[in-house]
Amino acid sequence: MIRSEMNEQGAPAADAEAAVECYLAAVTAQLAGSARLQTGIAAELRSGLLDAVDAHQSAGLPRAAAARAAILEFGDPAAVASGFRPEIAARMARRVSVAILVTGPLVGALWLATAAASRLAPDVRLAGLPLVAAAVGMTAWSAAAAIAATGRPTRWLPIRPRLAPTAAAVAGFSAVTADALGLVLLSVQASVSPAHLAVALAAAGAAASLARILLARRAACHCLAIRATLA
Amino acid sequence: MRAEALKGHLDGILLAVLEQGPCHGYAIMEALRERSGGQVDLPTGTVYPALHRLERAGLVKANWSTAGGRRRRVYELTRAGWRALDSERGAWREFSAAVTALLQPAPLAVSPS
Repeated sequence: MIRSEMNEQGAPAADAEAAVECYLAAVTAQLAGSARLQTGIAAELRSGLLDAVDAHQSAGLPRAAAARAAILEFGDPAAVASGFRPEIAARMARRVSVAILVTGPLVGALWLATAAASRLAPDVRLAGLPLVAAAVGMTAWSAAAAIAATGRPTRWLPIRPRLAPTAAAVAGFSAVTADALGLVLLSVQASVSPAHLAVALAAAGAAASLARILLARRAACHCLAIRATLA
Repeated sequence: MRAEALKGHLDGILLAVLEQGPCHGYAIMEALRERSGGQVDLPTGTVYPALHRLERAGLVKANWSTAGGRRRRVYELTRAGWRALDSERGAWREFSAAVTALLQPAPLAVSPS
């Protein structure tokens, strides 16, 4: 059947480029991830497809038929997209986890400085800090797991594609929890003993935590959405 | 030979193609077809995600380069890629020797009579 199509003549060469673009659009329409990532994938596939078109044309096919043969050779757009999905999920999970691990110590340093400069109420010190420490520990552990699950250990271990976005989402929500706990402790301290609070540092810590809550929550939701696209 | 038959061996095969030198996606696919005498017939589009996976694992590195007015992403083995290729080869030799031995027709049992 392919052979008989290949023998058709006549379609203008511009059709070949249009057919290639149409195929690429069908692939990228089924991909999650940033526009930049999709453009990069499409650019790489485009050069491969055009190489394949050239090869079929050199073998004697008219350009439009060569494009059809190249597209058949590349395979079902859905299959190609599903091959890329775990890669996109891994990149996303890694980026989110690195961002969480980098921003964590910055926000944490502000809160530690606030705590050091204030005289903390006993409730805050005894009940609050262990909770924050647990949330911070969970954040760091799951972000590190997501980074490990998308890097070198994939050489030796069969790691399921859903693991990394799951761990990154857990890291994101744990970071939200840690920051929210920081804000709760701040409000407790402000209401119990406002005189013993380093206000400027506390305000900086609160602003940093609020920003991180918004960003980490959004990133965690993205990771869950990408996780849902994986088989 | 379809994708399912190659499952588990595609990574090693791609590394073996790149042993010859840096190569872009379509040339890798052509080399696969040529070196397998046309036996390997994967959809070309599925080779690219596999290359991205190898890149993420640090076994290959990729760079954009322009030749003949076309920008292509060219892959080459990293040091870890060379080591992985060696160990894939060793593992395959052991596996294929064992399976070959197992698939040999068993010598007919001669019963004393």
